[in-house]
Amino acid sequence: MDNNRLNAKDLINVGIYTAICAVLCCAVAMTGVIPIMMVLLVVFVPIITGIPYMMFLTKVKKFGMILILNILMGLLMWVTGMSYYALIVGTIAGLAAELIFRAGKYNSKWHGIIAYAVSGLYCWANYFGIFFNADAYFSTRQNFGQDYIDAVTKMLPTWMCPVLFVVDLVCGIIGGWIGAKVLKKHFTKAGIV
Amino acid sequence: MEYRLDRNVHSLLDPRTKLLLLFTSSVFVVGNAGERWMVVFYWILVYLPVLLLLVEKEWVAAGIAGAIYVGCYFAQMALQHDLTALESALALMLYIITKILPTVILARYIVRTTKVSEFLAAMKRMHVTDKLTIPISVIFRFFPTVAEESRAINDAMRMRGIEMGAKKATEAVEYRMVPLIASCSIIGEELSAAAMTRGLDVGKKRSCIWNIRFRLLDWIVMTLCAACFIWWGIGRFYV
Repeated sequence: MDNNRLNAKDLINVGIYTAICAVLCCAVAMTGVIPIMMVLLVVFVPIITGIPYMMFLTKVKKFGMILILNILMGLLMWVTGMSYYALIVGTIAGLAAELIFRAGKYNSKWHGIIAYAVSGLYCWANYFGIFFNADAYFSTRQNFGQDYIDAVTKMLPTWMCPVLFVVDLVCGIIGGWIGAKVLKKHFTKAGIV
Repeated sequence: MEYRLDRNVHSLLDPRTKLLLLFTSSVFVVGNAGERWMVVFYWILVYLPVLLLLVEKEWVAAGIAGAIYVGCYFAQMALQHDLTALESALALMLYIITKILPTVILARYIVRTTKVSEFLAAMKRMHVTDKLTIPISVIFRFFPTVAEESRAINDAMRMRGIEMGAKKATEAVEYRMVPLIASCSIIGEELSAAAMTRGLDVGKKRSCIWNIRFRLLDWIVMTLCAACFIWWGIGRFYV
């Protein structure tokens, strides 16, 4: 059989790690009802999901797996009521991450960390609604109260967009690094990887 | 969460209809598109999942859902006046419940009444590549598993005195995450072995024991979804 084609085992791995990442994302994102946490999500989500993601990267040996994971995360974000920006940015970021990780021959640690940071950009894309289409964004969240809307709008003027981009990338690198460390400490020793 | 494996009649709706309904519900109930204009369809979409639960004879779940709906409705009526801080926090919680609960019920209904093979066959019919459908079906199979595992791990860690929000926060996270990933990866291995046995990897066209086609009820639900989008379009572009 052609070794470069994705087989059922790879696809199942993609599904499993997408599920883990989605559950963690969801658990962390619940704290977004507090205005300051809403902004800090871009810090916490990349750091928390780093561990399963780095584990996932050890299973990636073929082209396409990172891309599929990102598309699925984008779809889940869309279905659970975030904007479709996550799907678009996630797809592009997934492709970029795929190429980065492939440049490292699918086993380089630092390529993996950077690939994780890049592919985590869908988290940043979730804020696009606030930056570019604030009225529509908050019209679906009227009941959060005017205080909440004011607080979030004040913390996120448009110039924060590139700042969050950088923050997301940096936190992605930190998260990936932590993930790699945890991976080495627990899984490599135990022989699971 | 348990799955009904002994059913030999399949659920009333086609998997494709269910997905369309989920999409419609997430656009108009969670996404709140159209707002006032859509209010009739909004309430239909909110109560339809309860109706579906009743049709599937899930009496307890339907009863609980109905009770929560009615309770939230009266609580929101009571919270119409100027709010104190505590009350507005309560209103926020109610808001999240009423927004998300219908879609959660619908998603739970879909997961419990759709067989994986049914889903795969229906997607194949729509010419969706199995590079997407296999991971999606694994995700749906895996959400309850992840929740169950993490509950068990949480209990074990509480027994060891490693609490969330203790002074060693990193330890609390690490000691939960690592066992979770380890056990999930082992379950994944087993799942791949099971998939291999079922010939998911052969690459030939797979047959399905369920007869998947649209029935009267499917057409009704699909008309409803189409009506939602058309009515929304009318409100958006012509009024």
